[in-house]
Parts: sequence; C-alpha cells; structure tokens
Amino acid sequence: MTTPGGRILLVEDTPTQAEVAKAHLRELNHTLRLAETAAAALEQARAWDPDAILLDLELPDGSGLDVLKTLRQEGFEAAIIVITANASMTTAVEVMKWGATDFLPKPYPKAKLVFTLQNAMEKRRLVIENRALETELRAARSGAARDRFHGFIGASAAMQAVYRTIESVAKSRASIFITGESGTGKELAAEAVHKVSERRGAFVALNCGAIPRDLLESEIFGHVKGAFTGATDNRIGAARQADGGTLFLDEIGEMPLEMQVKLLRFVQTGTLQPVGASKPEKVDVRFVCATNRDPLAEVEAGRFREDLYYRLYVVPIEMPPLRAREGDPVLIARTFLQAFAREEKKRFCGLAPEAEAAIRDYPWPGNVRQLQNAVRNAVVMHDGERLEAAMLPAMLLRALPRAVPAAPPAALAVVLPQPLPEPVLAPAPAPAWSVPESLVPAWSPSAPPEPSPAAIEIQPLWKMEKRLIMAALEQTRQDVPRAASLLEINPSTIYRKLQAWRSAEKPDG
Amino acid sequence: MSALDPSIAEQLAQDLPPEDFRRIVETFEDDLGRLAAELERAGLAGSLDAYRRVAHSLAGAAAAVGAVMLERTARVAMDPRSGMPPAQMVPIIRAQAAAALQELAVLAARAGDDSAAP
Repeated sequence: MTTPGGRILLVEDTPTQAEVAKAHLRELNHTLRLAETAAAALEQARAWDPDAILLDLELPDGSGLDVLKTLRQEGFEAAIIVITANASMTTAVEVMKWGATDFLPKPYPKAKLVFTLQNAMEKRRLVIENRALETELRAARSGAARDRFHGFIGASAAMQAVYRTIESVAKSRASIFITGESGTGKELAAEAVHKVSERRGAFVALNCGAIPRDLLESEIFGHVKGAFTGATDNRIGAARQADGGTLFLDEIGEMPLEMQVKLLRFVQTGTLQPVGASKPEKVDVRFVCATNRDPLAEVEAGRFREDLYYRLYVVPIEMPPLRAREGDPVLIARTFLQAFAREEKKRFCGLAPEAEAAIRDYPWPGNVRQLQNAVRNAVVMHDGERLEAAMLPAMLLRALPRAVPAAPPAALAVVLPQPLPEPVLAPAPAPAWSVPESLVPAWSPSAPPEPSPAAIEIQPLWKMEKRLIMAALEQTRQDVPRAASLLEINPSTIYRKLQAWRSAEKPDG
Repeated sequence: MSALDPSIAEQLAQDLPPEDFRRIVETFEDDLGRLAAELERAGLAGSLDAYRRVAHSLAGAAAAVGAVMLERTARVAMDPRSGMPPAQMVPIIRAQAAAALQELAVLAARAGDDSAAP
C-alpha cells in the first residue's frame, strides 16, 4: 500500500551523493527535488515549501548552515536534516542550535536515512498539529466565553464563527466583503475589523445607496475648488480620510456602474484623483464592503462589475440572520432592556419567561434592528420590574404556543371603537428576510382576535387614518407623543393632521 | 588492499535494486572523470581554493560509495598542511579512482547476478 509522500528538497552538490540519497528514498513515495547550490536551495524552499530538506553543509556558493539560518529566520517549518561528512560534535551542536531537526553524518546506510527522515517529518507533523490544536482550543475557550465582541452581543455558534473570522483576517490588508440581511450588523462587523486590525488611520463609512449618484465620486475621492458648480472649496473625500485606516463602502451594490470603474482603478492602483484634480494621490486604504444582496447574482445580472467583485470579494464574512443565532435574541433583548430602561428611567430589570419565549420563537425578519425597536417600544409604553410577554408587539405573541395574558388595561393598548384591519403588511410572520423593516410593525393591537378581511368595514383611507389617530389620542389621554409612539409615527404628523382636520371643519369664510 | 570499504559499498549494493546501484556507479564514474580533470586544471593553474573545493567534492563522492582509499587521499589534498603538491597528488587520485571503479563494477555485476538468480 502506498501512503501519500512528502515534498523533499535535497540540497547536494555532488551528483554521486545525490544519486545515493535519491535511490534510498525512491520507494518512499516522496516527491524529490534537487538543489545544487545554497542560492538554489533558498529559491526552491521559498517557491516549493518542502516538508523536509536534506541539507549538505558544504556547498559551492556558501554554507548549508547559512541556508539553515536563513530559512529558520524566515519562519520555514520544514524538517531540516543536515548531512555532512565533517561530523564533529561542534558542528552537530551548532546546526541543532540553529533549528536543524536532525543531523546525519555521511556516509549513511539506507535504513539510517529513511529512519531519520521519517522521524523528522513525523516530528514536524506533530508540531504543526499540536499548534493547530492549541489554536483551536484557545478559540474554543475564548469562543465559549464570548457573548460580546467589539459592539456585538451574541454567544451563538454562528456569531463565534463571525468573531473568529474577524480576528483572523483583521490584521491582513485583504479586502473584506460582508453580506447579510438588513439589520444583521454589517457596519458593526466592519468597525470590528478596523478595531482588531490595529490600523492607525480612521474608520470611514460611506453608504453608497444614500448618496446621489452625481455626488458619489466627490464623496469618495473629494474634489478641488471649482471642479463643478458649488465646489467652492477643496474637499477631502472619504478615501483620503481613511488613509492608513479602513474605508467601509456600505450598500456597494447600489454603486452606479460608471463609478464602479473608478473604484476599480483605485482598488488596483491605490491612487485616487479628486474630482477636478490634475494629479493622482497615493493612499493606503483597507477596503471593507457590504451589501444585503447576493453579490454574485448582481455580477451575473450585469449590475456589478466582475473584475471589481473579484478585487473586493477576497475575504467574505456572512452575517447570520437573528433567527439563525440560537439563544442570541434573548441575550440581546436583555441588554437592550437594561439600556433602554436606564435611558427612559423605567424600572425594568428583566424579562418574564413568556416574554423570553416569545422573543426566542419569533423569526425576526428585521433582525437585530427590529428586536431593538420592539424592546424600545415596550420600554417606552410600559413600566414594571419585568417586561411581560403582553407588553411585546402582538406578532411576537402569535408565535407563542400557549396563551399569554393580555396587556394591562388603560393606556397600554389601543382599543379601537370598531374592529380595524390588521395592518395589511403584517400577516403571519414571514420568514423571508427581505421584508423591509418599515413594513414590519413593532407594535400592533394585541388582545382582540383578528377580523377576517370580509368583516372589515371598508372606509376611505383618510377616515380610517383619522379614526385610528383619534383612538390613539383617546387612549393616551390626548398625549400626542405617546399616541405617536403607539402609531409609530412622528408626533408632528399628528399635529399636522389635527390642524388639517380642524381647518377642514371650519366653515368657509 | 581493497579500494572499497565493504561495510559501505556492499551494504549499498544490498540495500538497492541492481539498476539503482548501477546508476550510482555510473554517476560516480562521471563524477570522477569530471572532478579529476578539474583537480588537474586547478593544480596546474595554482588555484589552491579551487583545488581544495574539487578535492572536497571528490572526497564526498568517494565516501558515498565507500571508496575509502580515494576519500582519504582526497581529504589529504583538501588539507593545506599536507604539503603534497598537486602534481604528485593527481596521479595518485586517478589511480585510486580507477581501482575503486573496478571494484564497484565487480560489485554491480554480482548484484545483478544475485538478483537474477532464482
């Protein structure tokens, strides 16, 4: 039976010696290469990364000892067996001191060479394996203990993998591409990469989807005075601000194709040209990009340049949706509850078991941001020692297997004079992550059963809206900010509507 | 007196398939031809460094096949204190190389015969 062999570099300038070594090793299924000089030995070791090196000490262009020193100083982990005819104890001690794995005097019988080589390779394998296990163990230990990581809250296995990836890639200069649904913490991941990277420059984030396409080039590269109408001064762009640091390009999939060409040039050359400037400028930027789309699908659809994709998609980090982070929703909810209770000067100090169950079982299509809104809403609207399940948005309670006591009466729930339609955009929780958060209400009437669509008395929308706002005001004893909070609208909207209704009610003239 | 150390040369012949052993002997022969010529040139040119370097290679090649007499002589040539001038040394080396090759050829033939025997 043949076993997979290793890569052996034989450094020997005397053909007879080389032929003897090759003949001895022929049956061992190793791949053997020969270097006849010190220079060739270094070149082959660097290019080929052998598992073991059989190194003659006397070489025509230098000493094998220098080759050994250089390779060890460069961090080569190959097993290096020094072979020499001058087998003095001093030489043996010297080469072992410089990191030789073993020492073999010439001439040697086949059995001795084979035994020494196999031993040295096994020793090397064990050292590498041991180091890998230690790294794994350290990661496992730290992973088990970590429920926080540079702004993240989460102890789930999915997040431990994210933490480990960030740690292992942060110090490299490789571009990072973060994907994940909205609200999963892509920007937080980008910031964590920057913090762990120890890059001294700034972390500069730019949302490519939020900047008008005409301004994007100037936002990234800056402009000089007079470059275009309105450019009254020189302006440093995000890339220059991030010099020596990290440039985070969020929603990169939204970047127009013509801008992608300019970004590609920047990524390739490390030089940028501010709009209107005549000379390019060199900057040292680490790129981190993010999108909530499938980047490869965008490439296939022709909306994202393939060459830019391959430049930026070097290290992918996929942020897991909250529903895939077992145990994290409750952990995050507790943290938010404490923070918001402090902020709102409420007494909350924990979650009731039913509330925990509701939070745990809900799929959170809007991810952490939706959970944050739900907890904030509950804290703003209620008070108590514990946050009860009934204080949570109704859609969470529908996911609960058993009945949950209704919310306390009075101002804590909106009771409508007539059955109102459930917001049309809030059906049973949809697993699709693509449901925009704005369409997922963080609060909806909890106790009454849902009327079927047929039972709803259809009225003009403005009338429905007015009824709903008035009901909210009634329930909150005309407290506009609280009513607005219940309805998840801005208080100014209520003031504006009230004014409009009053004006409409006034008799003409 | 034998030109070869049997504990090395015969061991080599036993350890290896005959074709491998023959290949080693052929390589050794090539090495000897080349190195002896280089040694002679270096001696004539009075280039002691080159002379010692070639003598070192010769000693290494000889040691690999157990040509102990040749190895010893080559090591003497490497030593600047030996006082043996190249003009005297080169003929000795050539003679010892020829003797070693002759014995190795016999060994190679025997190794081939042994392996062919039923």
